[in-house]
Amino acid sequence: MFRNITLGQYMPGTSFVHRLDPRIKILVTLVVITILFMVDTVTGYSLIFLFILGVILVARLPFRFVLYGIRPLAFILVLTFGLHLFMNEGRTLFAVGPLVATYEGAFRGFTMAFRLVLLVLGTSILTLTTSPIELTDGLENLMSPMKRMGIPAHELAMMMTIALRFIPTLLEETEKIMKAQMARGADFETGNALQRAKSLIPLLVPLFVNAFRRADELAMAMEARCYRGGEGRTRMKQMKLTKGDVLTGVVVTAGMVAVAVYL
Amino acid sequence: MNRVSDKIIEAENLVYSYSLDREEETRALDGVNLSIARGEFVVIIGRNGSGKSTLAKHFNALFLPTSGTVRINGMDTQDPRHLWRVRQTVGMVFQNPDNQIVSTTVEEDVAFGPENLGIPPDEIRRRVDLALEWVGMSEHMRHAPHLLSGGQKQRVAIAGVLAMRPMCIVLDEPTAMLDPSGRREVLDTVKRLNKEDGITVVLITHFMNEAALGDRVVVMDAGKVVIDDVPRKVFSQVEVIRRLHLDVPQVTRLAHELGKCGVPIPRDVLTVDEFADALCGLGSTSAVASCGE
Repeated sequence: MFRNITLGQYMPGTSFVHRLDPRIKILVTLVVITILFMVDTVTGYSLIFLFILGVILVARLPFRFVLYGIRPLAFILVLTFGLHLFMNEGRTLFAVGPLVATYEGAFRGFTMAFRLVLLVLGTSILTLTTSPIELTDGLENLMSPMKRMGIPAHELAMMMTIALRFIPTLLEETEKIMKAQMARGADFETGNALQRAKSLIPLLVPLFVNAFRRADELAMAMEARCYRGGEGRTRMKQMKLTKGDVLTGVVVTAGMVAVAVYL
Repeated sequence: MNRVSDKIIEAENLVYSYSLDREEETRALDGVNLSIARGEFVVIIGRNGSGKSTLAKHFNALFLPTSGTVRINGMDTQDPRHLWRVRQTVGMVFQNPDNQIVSTTVEEDVAFGPENLGIPPDEIRRRVDLALEWVGMSEHMRHAPHLLSGGQKQRVAIAGVLAMRPMCIVLDEPTAMLDPSGRREVLDTVKRLNKEDGITVVLITHFMNEAALGDRVVVMDAGKVVIDDVPRKVFSQVEVIRRLHLDVPQVTRLAHELGKCGVPIPRDVLTVDEFADALCGLGSTSAVASCGE
């Protein structure tokens, strides 16, 4: 059941957005997020919305897939809208007992919720069009100037790579242990929350023990292959910024700043 | 002291001891003397706890001797200055294929070793392509490792070692977790490496028919080397081998039992083909029949 799990939510493709340098994609995403928090007009939001819509079209991402990302947010969106609707002073829209909904509240609530949606859409475009490896490499590269400030960029990236590598392995192992325990009469499906949580113990204990053993063996295998941290290490795949990458970055950033300043 | 020698691995009075609690000291290796020449194919066998795996880890400086010395291509493994040269000279392949693959794609994993050595990107690319071609995994270059079979994963691990251009490969029970076809894939690759590329191979194994592949078999027991000879001589000592709780290849055992019954068959056959030839050479089957059960 876990065999063909997709890591993260990467949708392989060959579009312009897919081929863009991951570093540029990360930076542009950061710019868009920042600008989203500075903009406060309907026109501003609309322009950013149109931009994100445009990127989705260019990347040829199925809308259904992009919208999936918003689903877990439904509760927060309703809450945000509700709170703003009732908590603002202004012209009365309707009243439920002591709670008074206002026009102004409705407007604020809507823009806040919309901002959240744009935030999630913007970031999921990044993870939908960038493979986890590219994302890790991009992050490592961007963070490497921060090494002087004591941020272990290489180590963080290596940890992410190993995590990505072992997620499918550990899932497979979970499945195997589950089956083994079920064969011995373990029950993972019935009972109340507490009973179910308890029934997970015979699954988690062997899983953790094995994970530690794996970590130990992996560390030894890495050392045997001359791993000694990021110092003096080269990479087979070099990230190369093309003129197109830089231009895209500059144009989008300029556009976003313009939106923030003029609207 | 980078003395050039034709010995790639030299262990002298090697002792390795550890203590689980303060009082008791366990000697995993107890005065091992062993030297392995360039281009040799040496198989190390021994029952669980005989120290064979501990010995292997000394060849790569993963473990350092408690006393005695291990020299790899003339370099003392205890000298920290030689550490990375030693590890590049002797590559290791471990038992569990899952726990030695680091990266999320096959090619990235093979590149891991050369990347650690600080080799320029173009050269790494070249080495990775070559190594994958050598083990026959080129078409799986961009696959995720968890989708490969056990035998394929072990071949990727071998490619990862090859890309570092070692002189010697130490394989620590590389086939223990594989099915028979995976086992054959790995052994064929290892044999080819030795015969065609002249890479020294040290194979640690549980399987006696794998041991018959070597130029030389080293039998370990209780942290000591007890027999060190060509496979034919080693396995003809059926009684000694069995006293060490080890097995001889099935046909050798059969020949031995037949011999005890008076069948004039050579006691040092190692393969089924040899056995068949010897049997045909007997001419008469009367002797076999007389053996009864």
